[in-house]
Amino acid sequence: MSIFEYNGSAVVAMVGKNCFAIASDRRLGVNLQTIATDFQRIFKIHDKLYIGLSGLATDVQTLYQRLVFRHKLYQLREERDMKPQTFASLVSAVLYEKRFGPYFCMPVIAGLGEDDVPFICTMDCIGAKELAKDFVVSGTASESLYGACESMYKPNMEPEELFETISQALLSSVDRDCLSGWGGHVLLVTPTEVQERTLKSRMD
Amino acid sequence: MKLDLSGLQSFPSIPGSAVDDLGEDLFAAPSFQLPACSDFDGFQKDAIQMVKPAKGTTTLAFIFKEGVIVAADSRASMGGYISSQSVKKIIEINPYMLGTMAGGAADCQFWHRNLGIKCRLHELANKRRISVTGASKLLANILYSYRGMGLSVGTMIAGWDEKGPGLYYVDSEGGRLKGTRFSVGSGSPYAYGVLDSGYRFDMTVEEAAELARRAIYHATFRDGASGGVASVYHVGPDGWKKLSGDDVGELHYKYYPVAPTPVEQEMTDAPAA
Repeated sequence: MSIFEYNGSAVVAMVGKNCFAIASDRRLGVNLQTIATDFQRIFKIHDKLYIGLSGLATDVQTLYQRLVFRHKLYQLREERDMKPQTFASLVSAVLYEKRFGPYFCMPVIAGLGEDDVPFICTMDCIGAKELAKDFVVSGTASESLYGACESMYKPNMEPEELFETISQALLSSVDRDCLSGWGGHVLLVTPTEVQERTLKSRMD
Repeated sequence: MKLDLSGLQSFPSIPGSAVDDLGEDLFAAPSFQLPACSDFDGFQKDAIQMVKPAKGTTTLAFIFKEGVIVAADSRASMGGYISSQSVKKIIEINPYMLGTMAGGAADCQFWHRNLGIKCRLHELANKRRISVTGASKLLANILYSYRGMGLSVGTMIAGWDEKGPGLYYVDSEGGRLKGTRFSVGSGSPYAYGVLDSGYRFDMTVEEAAELARRAIYHATFRDGASGGVASVYHVGPDGWKKLSGDDVGELHYKYYPVAPTPVEQEMTDAPAA
């Protein structure tokens, strides 16, 4: 098993009508052994910008701390929050800085941009941005997630329907992966509120 | 070392039967063809690597006052991918003997069925049932003769014979151990933890089944390669009986029900001005 599969992870983000949802599993494992079932993979950058990081857990935590640091400096200098597109470029630059000794992480960035237009993108571990209009996935269960999202996704979903869809896509995909699952964590972000929910799932 | 192919002989051909060519093929002893290549050992090594079974499973069996309990999960995994959540890992050799499957599924299924055939032949030839000792020895000898060829079998043979309950562990390295408590597979350390701390010789059948179920459940929780359905069988003086097959996802919430978490901040409507 490769270094990306050492800890196991699954992250997915989807776009709805004036809203987005980002979800992840909650397992932290060491190869096949499960160590924790409450590991946080989705982090808040600011009220309308979230980043989900899959891959090696130590790099997930370190990379998150570095990005929050850079964003706080930006906030002090510019006196405003970063736009999601700008943040995505920042993450890409930070990852490429380590081109020959990379962070073993695949980030998923989701945010509401100007006029609350939802923005999602994903990257590989050295910063190649991939913008999408519908959904992005990352992690050990990514192939299953692609299949599940492709079949379940519809454009312009309302928040409740989007929550239902992303939850079902996540749960059905991690049920086919030995290394991710053990619970789910979904954040649904609209211009006015953020709903955070934990999913009850199979714990095997 | 001459290969012991006696395990493949099903039954002798009936002499003097008026049959055509089809009959000859029907009664010929089955045999495995060896690959016709120059580097036979290299081919073997590659074939083994291809089938590389990781023994990703949890099976357990133990003897207690009322007989033998046999339990297993039902997940089949290929690396990180779950190929099935509903594999039958407890194989019914005959109405009073069970075998468990760990390792290569095809290997276990084939050789357990073959063992069942040989046990039946023994019954017909000797007018009495074969003992668990005898059955496990038959299997162990066959597996020993294929040692180093890439078979992957980690099985437990459990049954009830004239001497009472019997339990043997047999593997493809040629090992055969008699014992009272075994667990095989990648989830076995977790199962042993629960099994060893809860085991008593004088349990009732229900208590023993619950212990086995809990042990399998805990193994599926911690081990990524185990999961699906926890099946529990009991082998008594009248033969085996399947006691339960519970979905492990539901067992978790039965043992650890979800407690409503206290809400820190709840949004309420602003009072009308």
